[in-house]
Amino acid sequence: MYDEFIEIELTTKEKRLKPWERRFSQIMLFFENVIKIPLFRCQRCGECILSHTAFVCSQRCPKRMRNGPCGGTREGGYCEVYPERKCIWYLIYKRARLFGRLSFLTRIEKIHNWNLEKTSAWFNVFTKRIEPPKLFLRSKK
Amino acid sequence: MTLKEKIESGRFVVTAELGPPQSSNGNVIRKKAVHFRNVVDGVNITDNQTAIVRLSSIASAKILLDEGLEPIIQVTCRDRNRIALQSDLLGASALGIKNVLCLTGDYVTFGNHPEAKPVFDLDSIQLIYMVRKLTKGFFLSGEKMKTAPDFFIGGAANPFAPPLEFRVLRLAKKIRAGAQFIQTQPVFDLDRFNEWMRGVRNYGLHKKVAILAGVMPVKSAKALQYMIKEVPGMRVHQAYVKRMEKADDPKEEGIKIAVEIIQELKKIEGVRGIHLMPLMWESITPRIVEEAGLKPK
Repeated sequence: MYDEFIEIELTTKEKRLKPWERRFSQIMLFFENVIKIPLFRCQRCGECILSHTAFVCSQRCPKRMRNGPCGGTREGGYCEVYPERKCIWYLIYKRARLFGRLSFLTRIEKIHNWNLEKTSAWFNVFTKRIEPPKLFLRSKK
Repeated sequence: MTLKEKIESGRFVVTAELGPPQSSNGNVIRKKAVHFRNVVDGVNITDNQTAIVRLSSIASAKILLDEGLEPIIQVTCRDRNRIALQSDLLGASALGIKNVLCLTGDYVTFGNHPEAKPVFDLDSIQLIYMVRKLTKGFFLSGEKMKTAPDFFIGGAANPFAPPLEFRVLRLAKKIRAGAQFIQTQPVFDLDRFNEWMRGVRNYGLHKKVAILAGVMPVKSAKALQYMIKEVPGMRVHQAYVKRMEKADDPKEEGIKIAVEIIQELKKIEGVRGIHLMPLMWESITPRIVEEAGLKPK
């Protein structure tokens, strides 16, 4: 009955950035912020999953859910913590449906690696610490 | 028989929720447990529900174990990071606790320490995955342990909160992460619940996981109104509100409504049990279980 569990790996084993990497990452983070903060209100988690969440930053969620939404979404799609705000995961779902990117939301996102917090996601992609952004999901055969 | 064995044998199970006290008095739990003994198959122990400090759920579970009941500990991601969660789960297993319900947890601002740091190191799906990994003999880091805990892993589902269409897909994610049973939010809107169950059956999820539908007996119309206003993600059919307001004896009406809802839920294909949430009204559990015809033989 319970054999649905497939051996998925949700943890990342990426090591901390070396001091020189950290300095380089900081420089890249400056440019990244200039673009990502005004466009997506980026929270600088360093493990960008914007391409999975239909380009709405999931880390704006007060609970920082990477596999949202939680069960507290209010009527009309409002956040349980800030009733005047829309639930980020409600927005993600709406946007994903609009863009035909729902298949991204059926994947389980990895557990956040706090070593990468406040580092440049671009640098982390470049050094192969995180997956590059995906424009399309290849269909499994 | 454990809860897992009961569910696997195909029996219609009943679980109930117990809130530990806001003090160090363990006798409160023993007193509440009296209403559950020989009535329900498992007792959920909340983990500082609505972010209010209460007696720890694992300690309460141990008290229940000693009383001869089967506890289901709720574990939330609000207060502990992955290190503390794993350590507590290992401890729980060592004490003989066999059931875990993994939740994300209410946000800290709902409780009595709104200035606390919200942890949320994992979310509920990742927590389910972590517990599953522990039962396979691995820490989250991938290191092996000598004696793996044995847990029956549960998750929660809210069929009533928007985006409604996504709730079934999220359930599928929880199952993929390793959930073995699901307890839902209290049902006060059968149409919506039926719609969700149709989705669940469409994906064949009811065969992969045991769904226990939530039922909450309410004492008064005021309590029901409070639920609608204060509990985010709740959906209550107006007919129930009207019935509670018009009733001469709201307590009796509340019991009647709960029993009616249980009768309807029993008919739905894929519902494997009932999860009772008699908030501050534990004493009513035996009566509801009996009137709904759920009494175990």
